[in-house]
Amino acid sequence: MSENKVLTGGGLLFEVLQEHGVQHVFGYPGGAIMPIYDALYDSDVQHFLCRHEQGAAFSAVGYARAAGKVGVCLATSGPGATNLITGLADALADSIPVVAITGQVPTAAMGSDAFQEIDIFGLSLACTKHSFQVTDINDLEKVLHQAFEIALEGRHGPVLVDIPKDVQLAEVTERLDKLSHLKNKVKLPLADISKALDLLTHAKQPILYVGGGVGMANAIEEVRNFAEQTGMPSVSTLKGLGAINPDNENYLGMLGMHGTKTANLAVQNSDLLVVVGARFDDRVTGKLDEFAPNARVIHFDIDTAEINKRRAADAAILGDLKGNLPLLSMELSISAWQEELQQMQKDFGWRYDHPGENIFAPAVLKTVSDLMPDNTCVTTDVGQHQMWAAQHMSFDDPSNFLTSGGMGTMGFGLPAAIGAQISRPHDTVIAVSGDGSIMMNVQELATIKRYQVPVKIVLIDNAKLGMVRQWQDLFFDGRLSETDLADNPDFVMLSQAFDIKSQTISKKSQVKAAVEEMLDHDGPYLLRVQIDAKENVWPLVPPNTANDKMMENV
Amino acid sequence: MSTANLNKYQLIIMADDKQVVLERILQVTRYRGFLINGMNAEVNTGNNVATITMTVSSERPISLLIDQINKLIDIKGVRVDNSAVNNKQQTA
Repeated sequence: MSENKVLTGGGLLFEVLQEHGVQHVFGYPGGAIMPIYDALYDSDVQHFLCRHEQGAAFSAVGYARAAGKVGVCLATSGPGATNLITGLADALADSIPVVAITGQVPTAAMGSDAFQEIDIFGLSLACTKHSFQVTDINDLEKVLHQAFEIALEGRHGPVLVDIPKDVQLAEVTERLDKLSHLKNKVKLPLADISKALDLLTHAKQPILYVGGGVGMANAIEEVRNFAEQTGMPSVSTLKGLGAINPDNENYLGMLGMHGTKTANLAVQNSDLLVVVGARFDDRVTGKLDEFAPNARVIHFDIDTAEINKRRAADAAILGDLKGNLPLLSMELSISAWQEELQQMQKDFGWRYDHPGENIFAPAVLKTVSDLMPDNTCVTTDVGQHQMWAAQHMSFDDPSNFLTSGGMGTMGFGLPAAIGAQISRPHDTVIAVSGDGSIMMNVQELATIKRYQVPVKIVLIDNAKLGMVRQWQDLFFDGRLSETDLADNPDFVMLSQAFDIKSQTISKKSQVKAAVEEMLDHDGPYLLRVQIDAKENVWPLVPPNTANDKMMENV
Repeated sequence: MSTANLNKYQLIIMADDKQVVLERILQVTRYRGFLINGMNAEVNTGNNVATITMTVSSERPISLLIDQINKLIDIKGVRVDNSAVNNKQQTA
């Protein structure tokens, strides 16, 4: 250890954050974290005051996903800490590196049901990759370094550090000279390369199945090169969107419950799946027993536990995708397969010639996608608008499409957009939301106002919880239970209350000019798009059904 | 719930003696669909390594649980003690 200036635990926290390159944090103060907020007063780290701890957690997630850095959020003990949990669960499900700092009641009061005391350490077990509770000031620096290391090591994830108030106040005079690193738990690749090469050589109808792990492995270039060199048709999960260049002639779009017809039929008819950074999620596979029934599987992943979890791999290649995937690159003789799928793409392409004057949500999102500047970052909430955005918008990098994939958390989009905009101040950031979702974290409009964050919000408003309403219509005999939101607030008036420019459109003829006005506006803007409440998301693979038995515009 | 038809396994887990490591193992075991039939935990205070012996049963393959326990940060290793219990089917 080396001698340094005297620091409190709170001061040490911000020094370590800066050593890890942290410039921005999101949080909300309270009693048990006051020493940390006192240290913030003297720190160069910039703090963004969110209006709910869940907003802080999602802003940290959006920041991390948009910038490829660790996102950091702060909350006090008790309700402050519990309000972080949904954001941490979201980060765990989507493998996002986040470090959450929570204040805790003083160590002497712990376990006494003190005011604003909750066992956040215990609560964190199911919603973090790892967590710590620091009860000795001499452990704080090591734990904080480990938190960053764990968040980024192997499969990324959230880490929580719970710091009692007396530890935040305690003084430390010595800093660590040398950091002790964690043991490397990422296992070496299994020796299945030769088997994978053999499978690839003999495949007649292979499909490259691309997941969110590609972006996180920083392997976009390698995956695109592999797709180009092999000519292999590719499909993407929700989180993988942007990894494959959408202009690639053999790219078939998203697969799964709301995937394209071509993508799903291609996967079902394939004889080999090359799976990169994906995990056979149930929203992707439909009925698992009938998913790609004739396909052999080559599975690349960083996480041993994903191999054989839901679908057995014929060849498993563990470790760094960036280094491993090029080992399989070769030219394939699959022109007949490519031509068959390209013809299907033409036959089953999206149509935007919707009858009538009312606005067709897919067409609005296509227009936004066509007009938005290069490197625009789009976030979504969860529901119909999310699936329409995934289907009808184009992304050239996974960090430009931030959506709550695994957890499917309504309320994600607005605070995630704030985090994304703060991490990338020179890029346009658009939050696509729904009238149900936006109300989940609507208080974050105040964060936009406070910092004049120039986020553009496209609010697809059908005055319904649209996706649940769609399922009630299709699978529950039209018994519409608690999905009507006709009593929503006036969103334009609400926006104006937060100094956010806003307008409503309801006719097709208004769309292009309104989108252009939104994109040209210097500050934050909310474009409310009224759509028909009966519009559904198509195609749809019903639950527990094979992906080739999709429903189409019934 | 009848456990008569479940596969039974004995796991031997080596872990650093860190905060809540036992709770983490129990949480993962329950969440991943395994019943705990019995367990014993001891710590070697010389090297601060805990040895946890746990008998579990499930319809699911034991490899699923081993992989998930192995992912926990404080775990040094997990193995199945094949001699300890009579399994209907050993898949580890």
